Amino acid sequence: MAPRSLWTGAVSFGLVNVPVTLRSATRDLQPHFHLVDSKSKTRIEIRRCCSKEGKPVDWDEVAHGHDIGGECVMVTDEELSALEPRKTRTIDIEAFVDVAEIDPVLYDHAYFVVPAGGEGAARAYRLLAQVMEEAGEAALGRFVLRTREYLAALRVRDGVITLSTLRFADELRPASALGDSRPKKARPAKKKVDQAIKLIEALGSDFDPTRYEDRHRKQVEKLVKAKRKGQEIEAPEQPETPAAVSDLMKALEESIAAVRG
Amino acid sequence: MVPVKLYSAIEDRTVHFRELHAKDGAPIEHRRVSSKTGREVPSERIVKGYETSRGRWVLLTDEEIKAIEAPARKAIEIEDFVPADQVDPAFYDRPYHLGVGDDGREPYAVLHAALKKAGRVGIGRVVLRGREQLVAVRAGADNLLEMSTMRYADELIDPGDVDVSAPSRTPTKQEVDMAAKLTQGLHQRFKSGDYEDEYRARVLDYLGRKAEGEDVELPEDEAPEETGDDLAAALEASVKAVRG
Repeated sequence: MAPRSLWTGAVSFGLVNVPVTLRSATRDLQPHFHLVDSKSKTRIEIRRCCSKEGKPVDWDEVAHGHDIGGECVMVTDEELSALEPRKTRTIDIEAFVDVAEIDPVLYDHAYFVVPAGGEGAARAYRLLAQVMEEAGEAALGRFVLRTREYLAALRVRDGVITLSTLRFADELRPASALGDSRPKKARPAKKKVDQAIKLIEALGSDFDPTRYEDRHRKQVEKLVKAKRKGQEIEAPEQPETPAAVSDLMKALEESIAAVRG
Repeated sequence: MVPVKLYSAIEDRTVHFRELHAKDGAPIEHRRVSSKTGREVPSERIVKGYETSRGRWVLLTDEEIKAIEAPARKAIEIEDFVPADQVDPAFYDRPYHLGVGDDGREPYAVLHAALKKAGRVGIGRVVLRGREQLVAVRAGADNLLEMSTMRYADELIDPGDVDVSAPSRTPTKQEVDMAAKLTQGLHQRFKSGDYEDEYRARVLDYLGRKAEGEDVELPEDEAPEETGDDLAAALEASVKAVRG
């Protein structure tokens, strides 16, 4: 099944415009529970209805209301996209930056950028991908999707331009918001840090994402199977919080010994 | 064991809207109807279910769903420490700040310093809201340990599965050189604070003016231009524009 395109527009690089569509680069494999009518055993759907007329309303008849000073202001999708007509349709590349300078905490959702159109689009796309890959850089741009603006970092993976939306700086909670739990600038004893690095290296390996199985997904499947067979399902016990170690050095040494076996 | 407290690292700044019926401005109600009959279903008849195959449901009570919640300890169990640059950012999902837990200042600082020096991130698991998640713990700015929930390998689509149409003629050396010049001209140091959500401000301004009864004019729409066949000419003009 071809993935659905979420946004159609153009990537603009100087005066070069590349018509593109965006597709999600992730798939949701999380098990979801749905609401079901226990009598007819059919899935429940949410239907939008007008509270005044009591009749169903199609999605394209839905407008957006925002409360300001006790008054509800109504705007339509057309008005929202007309506020920034260019950004609604074009990702303007503003800058090229080193990927390493982007704090991973900023990354939000990942999309694939796919050329849409003929030979001209395909060639401009190939060119952009080639120079970005050679420079080892990310291109930064902005665009508007539905009711909000996104900062985006474009990178190349296996010849495909990948777009990650980035959070804006003011969407990140500052360290000061942690109050008493905020870490202070500290210079821990070198000996302890070295010991911890030893442990980290001992547990070190290359990153292989396929090694990690989604145990939650498995768990849900197991439960559903059990339920189908009519087995009883037991409630879990309450988790406990482990206590802090009193002797950090000793704990580190013991851990290293355990890893080395 | 490093005692920590978990805080969301993000604050929602999106402008929130309620759904209204465009025609009469009345609020939209969400009614729960049967997908078969389209008729409203009384809430006492609604239960949770899991679809095992199309149209076949296993019905579950809230207690049974609770039983799925992993009865794990309240701890982030680190399994591996991997080089930070090997983890593609596409794996990262939701970020959290780890605050210092009770009596934990020293081990917290030691772990932060060691992760930073080793250039590694810890990959582990934690139970959040009843669901076990894969997470990465790394040394962040401001002496903070950061944790991100991670997507599993099979949740990322392989770029090789994306159909990107290849051009019949690859870009010429002149075009590549020119485009490279353009990227160099646009190179910057990345500072996250340099970028603001301008649209958010514009939406709020527009809503405010509309609330006061002002007749707000919307900006003119410009038709998007498409680059013609002459890629080289467009590039040359772009390089000139950047150099000013």
